[in-house]
Amino acid sequence: MAIEIEDISFRYGRVVALDGVTARLGEGAVGLLGPNGAGKSTLLRILLGFLAPERGQGRVLDYDIRRQQALIRRAVGYMPEGDCFISGMDAVTFASYFGELAGMPRQEAMKRAHEVLFYVGLGEARYRLLDTYSAGMKQRLKLAQALVHDPKILFLDEPTSNLDPTGRKEVLELIRDISTHKSIQVLLSSHILDDIESLCETVVILKQGKVAAEGRMADLRALDYSLYEVRVKGDPAAFRRDLEGLGGRVDEMEDGLIKIYMPEAGDRMDIFRAADRTGVQLRSFVKSRTSLEDLFAGVVGVD
Amino acid sequence: MAVIREKGYTHWDGRLVERRFPWSPITRTGILLAFRKKRFKLVFAATFVPAFVFLVGLYISERLEDFKAMIQGSDRLINIGPKYFVSYFTNDSLLFMIALVLALGAGGLIADDLRHGSLQLYFARPLGKKDYIAGKMSVAAFFVLLYTAVPGLLLVIFKLVFAGSFEFFLKYPWLPLSVLGASLLLTVFFAFYIMLLSSVSKNNRYVFVLVFGVYYFSEILFNILRGVFRTPYTALFSIPANIKQVGAAIFGQAPPLAVPAVWSFAVLAGFCGLAAVVLDRKIRSVEVIK
Repeated sequence: MAIEIEDISFRYGRVVALDGVTARLGEGAVGLLGPNGAGKSTLLRILLGFLAPERGQGRVLDYDIRRQQALIRRAVGYMPEGDCFISGMDAVTFASYFGELAGMPRQEAMKRAHEVLFYVGLGEARYRLLDTYSAGMKQRLKLAQALVHDPKILFLDEPTSNLDPTGRKEVLELIRDISTHKSIQVLLSSHILDDIESLCETVVILKQGKVAAEGRMADLRALDYSLYEVRVKGDPAAFRRDLEGLGGRVDEMEDGLIKIYMPEAGDRMDIFRAADRTGVQLRSFVKSRTSLEDLFAGVVGVD
Repeated sequence: MAVIREKGYTHWDGRLVERRFPWSPITRTGILLAFRKKRFKLVFAATFVPAFVFLVGLYISERLEDFKAMIQGSDRLINIGPKYFVSYFTNDSLLFMIALVLALGAGGLIADDLRHGSLQLYFARPLGKKDYIAGKMSVAAFFVLLYTAVPGLLLVIFKLVFAGSFEFFLKYPWLPLSVLGASLLLTVFFAFYIMLLSSVSKNNRYVFVLVFGVYYFSEILFNILRGVFRTPYTALFSIPANIKQVGAAIFGQAPPLAVPAVWSFAVLAGFCGLAAVVLDRKIRSVEVIK
């Protein structure tokens, strides 16, 4: 296991940020998902040794998070959430500087800085002052400095925040390339479901500092309910009440689509029977794949 | 799917090294960045003017006959001895220029990192808080030593060269040590001073104002209090006065004011201690927003 944590707890003053988090995060891209304030960034900071947990223990690449922080930081590349750069520097100097601080020899760091800047798409802008970079360029720059010393694991904290759709797509494409082809493990923290769903094989969902769900995406999708998407003509309220009486959950979308979560043990014919009983016509009926969004909504308790 | 890669990713086949001084890249980069700033090069060069003036004085002192007409009233520059060195190390123009160089070249060292959130990038590397502070302080130390220890020792050497004998050295064999001591005093104090002020604001323009504001406010306060209380002990409130007191003591001279130099030293040391405490609290890898 790349990362193992057991019973990790941390609080900022009286605010509990993490409460007994236990998880084992394996190979490939792992998603850390949760709403704002769930404790995702705090967990990353504990893994990096920025914060000492009140309770619990953990290992990153077999290094103890309490005692071997320097070794962890050598092996990990960290891309923080907010803007971070050094005023008055160009990208090459910036990337090579952090390569050197990671322990790379000076000339190697400079050579490597050029390589990673080309890789993240900043090759042409590598001698420009960072103060003039756009938000998207700064995101890529942060990725470049995280990659410069060729880490074994990348910690990415909200890597697509503040990006326009095109920039987001490009950064996600880069992360996918890194995690699938470059034998670098990725721990991606995000509150954006699509990012996690499109990149990660494994996910840990945090809610109020606790693990709400954890596992392989494929396994988590196979939940104990079936999702159907239907459109009806008639009174959906009565239809809804009938289905809820059968143990199902019904979400009405703005565009008239109705999502029905039926117990796995139930029969799809129950939906047709409910429609018949309540006098509504089923105009379309699709058995949908349970998405991470549904899982997320279920465990975190939001629509 | 958009492809933005101009070049594929390749693994680095080198090996990360453990440096004896892991903060050395911070210092080197800090010095290089200072020289990229507008106006800094001019100020940097101008700060050597006091050293040049003292060097000229030193030359003239060995050629008194040739410069008789010029040197009337310039005893301070041509009587070469410990007093001459006290004058160099504690003259107002040198202290002002050091403050200016540090305000321009080192004022943003921590302030910019706080402003742009780059502290977490440093601490994501195998660096501790002490390494970070040592790296940043060494930038300030580099500049101060360049204006104190280097010219100070060169003045001693030039004196010997111009005199063509070791008589001066035999008369004051401890002088090089005093030069180093005074340089160390100024270096340590100004390094802590600039780091403290750089860490209390995220805006390096405010830091610039603070560097001179605090320095001269302390001197003004001293003069006001001295006028009110009629005691030289109010000099303990003044940064330049304390530097002059300790500087004189280091060269074995009587302090300019009737206050024990050790008191002034304690004030300066206390200031450095306070700066260390503030730095310890301000430099954090994680900023907690309450």
